[in-house]
Amino acid sequence: MNEEISFWILSAIAVLGALVAVRKRNLIHGVFALLVFFAGLSGLFLLLLAEFIAAVQVLVYIGAVGVLLLFAIMLTERVAGDDDRRMISRGWSWGLLAAAAVFVVLLLRPIQQLPSQDAAQPIKPSVEALGHKLINPYVVTLEVLALLLTAALIGAVTAAQGLRMPKEEDSPE
Amino acid sequence: MGAFTRRNAIVVLFSVEIMLNAANLNFIAFWRYSDNPELLHGPMFTLFAIAVAAAEVAVGLALVIAVYRHFKTVDLESINTLRE
Repeated sequence: MNEEISFWILSAIAVLGALVAVRKRNLIHGVFALLVFFAGLSGLFLLLLAEFIAAVQVLVYIGAVGVLLLFAIMLTERVAGDDDRRMISRGWSWGLLAAAAVFVVLLLRPIQQLPSQDAAQPIKPSVEALGHKLINPYVVTLEVLALLLTAALIGAVTAAQGLRMPKEEDSPE
Repeated sequence: MGAFTRRNAIVVLFSVEIMLNAANLNFIAFWRYSDNPELLHGPMFTLFAIAVAAAEVAVGLALVIAVYRHFKTVDLESINTLRE
């Protein structure tokens, strides 16, 4: 019962945070709403007994991604820019229609056929097993991931720095 | 929804993040209610997905900044060089 109440509260926080993050015109406020969304999601992970994932969510998303977004928005003078004109572009009704169609086609049947689950079985804390798995079967994935992160970091710095070649200046747009 | 309707590139980036997080939540939820949760497939996949998403945010923001420097705007509807 307690779990159910916390589930609803956390879900409400997450959904409201996501909605505000997407709808706010002020980007800074949007980032903070996004952080609220991440925090709500982290609570949901805790509720599902994935404590390591919850911790990673807080560290990576609230810590790194949030700060990265804030810095990028605040340091780049007018990226937050004038969104005062039309907030949404044309064709949102088509988007809504497509989303509804995808929902009906993909999800309605499986949801109807879902067996009504009782309470999930209790599980042990999974951090230790996660660490073992990360070393034994998934070590190649881990290394590839490290490589990807390094490449992404270097690529991000390079892309954000911009190419400072003299020929680049007078190339036709 | 925001990924397709907003015109600010950064808000589109937010929306992609929200979608990735929703997928992660699905992974964890289905893992928790699966038959043998001790196999830890869900958290493992989520862990890798989070790492890839972090890389994606960094690269995405860098691209937004580069596009802003080039076009002086992040309005996605006015960046249509390929169409013209």
